[in-house]
Amino acid sequence: MLWLYDGSFEGFFCALHKSYRDKSIPEVLTSDTSKLNLLSEPVTIETDREVAKKVSESIVSHFPRKIIERIYHVFLCDDVAHERELLLYIRLGFKDITFLENLSHPVVFAIEGYQKRLFSTIHKMQEFLRFEMLEDGMLYAKIAPPRNVLPLLGRHFIKRLRNERFIIHDISRGWIVVCDGKGLEMHEVVDASVPVLHEKEQHFQKLWQTFFDSVTIEARKNYNAQRKSIPLLYRGLMTEFK
Amino acid sequence: MKIEEKLQILTDSAKYDVSCSSSGSTRTHDFGGVGATHASGICHSFSADGRCISLLKILFTNYCIYNCSYCINRSSNDLKRAAFTPKEIADLTINFYKRNYIEGLFLSSGIITSEDHTMELILKTLQLLRYEHGFNGYVHVKLIPGSSEHLIKAVTRLADRVSSNVELPSQKSLALLAPDKTKEKLFEPLNIVKNDALEQGKKVIGMSTQMIIGASPESDYDILRLSNSFYNKGLLKRVYFSAYIPTVTHKNLPAIDTPPPLLREHRLYQADWLMRFYGFGWDEITTERNPFLDERFDPKLAWALRNLHLFPVEVNRADRETLLRVPGFGTRSVSKILRARRAKALRPDDLETMKISLKRARYFITVGGRAVKKTALAYEQLESTMLSLEKPKAGTQPSLFDVLQTNTGEI
Repeated sequence: MLWLYDGSFEGFFCALHKSYRDKSIPEVLTSDTSKLNLLSEPVTIETDREVAKKVSESIVSHFPRKIIERIYHVFLCDDVAHERELLLYIRLGFKDITFLENLSHPVVFAIEGYQKRLFSTIHKMQEFLRFEMLEDGMLYAKIAPPRNVLPLLGRHFIKRLRNERFIIHDISRGWIVVCDGKGLEMHEVVDASVPVLHEKEQHFQKLWQTFFDSVTIEARKNYNAQRKSIPLLYRGLMTEFK
Repeated sequence: MKIEEKLQILTDSAKYDVSCSSSGSTRTHDFGGVGATHASGICHSFSADGRCISLLKILFTNYCIYNCSYCINRSSNDLKRAAFTPKEIADLTINFYKRNYIEGLFLSSGIITSEDHTMELILKTLQLLRYEHGFNGYVHVKLIPGSSEHLIKAVTRLADRVSSNVELPSQKSLALLAPDKTKEKLFEPLNIVKNDALEQGKKVIGMSTQMIIGASPESDYDILRLSNSFYNKGLLKRVYFSAYIPTVTHKNLPAIDTPPPLLREHRLYQADWLMRFYGFGWDEITTERNPFLDERFDPKLAWALRNLHLFPVEVNRADRETLLRVPGFGTRSVSKILRARRAKALRPDDLETMKISLKRARYFITVGGRAVKKTALAYEQLESTMLSLEKPKAGTQPSLFDVLQTNTGEI
């Protein structure tokens, strides 16, 4: 059986609720309509905010913070179809919370693996994200991470860019995180105008390029090692690889 | 001279310094401005040689009054020279930092006019960064051996890490290749820093050093013994190795066309890792009878092959230390095993589920009392099996450099 939900957290909770109510597990749980086929009729999950609220409350009261965070993190992994496994994971935890400690259980191992990959993407963004200074002194960075890490990135940069105003723009998902020098806000992008750079911006980009080229030791050239550490995927938006 | 040209020259001269770690700062003072340190360090880029770029690693100047024969900046070398001003360095650091290019600054220098004069310029740069810009990111300073105590102390108070390079692993080699330097002189700054912290009852700042490998005849046994004594005394957090790249013809140095001993350097780093994270003693890794590391195998595998009587190890019962000594198991595999076996007794397919690589380990373990691979634990047999595992994949150009990678951004 294929269950179709709307892709939201609430919709997912409603699917979880249905699986308990009907005592059934879907073969596929997805929000991706391209997964549909002609042979089987999908079951469409209605998103009911009241139901979702109840489910989320029972999750919060039953699971420790670490697991709740994990569920949220895995949900942000929008690169893989994880919904069915996440549903099984939560059911496993409701049955007996200690089951979630058994790392050799395929579902537990898969879910922790997704979370790890999300953490690794966050770290990659902390490494490779590049800000450009705009004409008014605002710092602006474009990212296109393979997983939806934007909601978790702001905290890192607000700590280090104290009193600075900055924007991180996820160009593949169309969301931004804005810091006005004090707090963080997340918005969906409506205005897609190209920002104007600070007059000194090109100067510093060129200096960085100079440094990057000069620091290489010719006798030790090793492009394989470089590619392992900075996958090509990230280079498109990095100053030194432009 | 334009700033681009200066940056190019003074990066070029600084790049042979290996350390680029930005981790493990214990500084508690906050200078109030832009910047923060990250416990595990962050590499912001990787250069074409595969090395991590975490810090703006530059020399204040590459003018130098000394003439150490192994050093690219020696006074007799015909080389373009340049010097930054403190303001130029501070501006570069702040602007690079804001754009997320770097974690901070790694400042070293040739000796211009005198040791104290050079150290004063470094101090001035740090004061500008810390007090005027309130810069709160990572700063690593290479202390100048032979400069005054009060300058060393002042610089250390503004830094996250300081270091002084031992350069060569023995007094004899130093006398031969760097006659202006003695072991005592090179260590003096580190001892000043340590004693200053102890007198004030403070934690000693993270310190590191660097040794050049392959310019002089010391064995790996000598080198590891020396590193071990640094760690034991609590003097250093980290010892770096740098494969000697011949840049000069000299009667006491390897010929100019000698390739840098990169594989040896790699094996030394692996051995260093075993000492710091895997509970190995330096004298287990090399012995007086076998003073050089086996270049064919990583040092843990080589140790296991010499100590087959300690195997096989039962995955369900062995403690952490013992599991860490199994060839092919790293800290991550071991943590997974320890966690999973609390829930249930493990079987071979559980290891597979957890994606633990058994490529090498299978020859050295039992799971639930049963061997995963029925091979006699005999040296000759295992040696050839292990060698066959090392073979590069068919169709790829076998290259020494494929296996070499140093992640100096981590501790």
